[in-house]
Amino acid sequence: MQRFHVGDAVRARVMNPAGHTRLPAYLRGKPGTVESVHGLFPLADERARGVEDASRQALYTVAFRAEEVWGADAGEAFAIHADLWDGYLEPEISR
Amino acid sequence: MTRIHDVGGMHGFDPIDRHEDHEPFHNEWEARVFALNRLLLRAGVYNLDEFRHAIERMDPAEYLESSYYEKWFAGIERLLGEKGVL
Repeated sequence: MQRFHVGDAVRARVMNPAGHTRLPAYLRGKPGTVESVHGLFPLADERARGVEDASRQALYTVAFRAEEVWGADAGEAFAIHADLWDGYLEPEISR
Repeated sequence: MTRIHDVGGMHGFDPIDRHEDHEPFHNEWEARVFALNRLLLRAGVYNLDEFRHAIERMDPAEYLESSYYEKWFAGIERLLGEKGVL
């Protein structure tokens, strides 16, 4: 399943799974932009539980602006790129 | 819930050491741990995400005191126990 495309505004979900996830805590709840789409990959969160036929989700590289993540303390303008699965993201509603 | 491995953005650690280290291993046992992990992954005893998950479940104090390959060894040890191999 691929819900997003290059250039889409997204937001990393706020989540606190007890197990393994590839979504780092500092990105949860932060807005970003889809930079590239890599195709479908088995979800690491499920594979980490030993699930052999883990669900395959679209994997994206998402860019997060440093000031969105660290606030004014970021000091300089740069972007953090993270490879994130579809289920980690929700569409960002412009406001 | 986050665990001790997820320290991105946390203050209080030394600056990242950026000097290039061309030696892959600094002790012979590290190479053995590396090889052991590759073999166990190849043999299908566990997958890479289970391996990461195993390391992330280390006791936090132990995690912070362990070197890179000590963490690998702790992960292998835990998984071999959980899978009933040991």
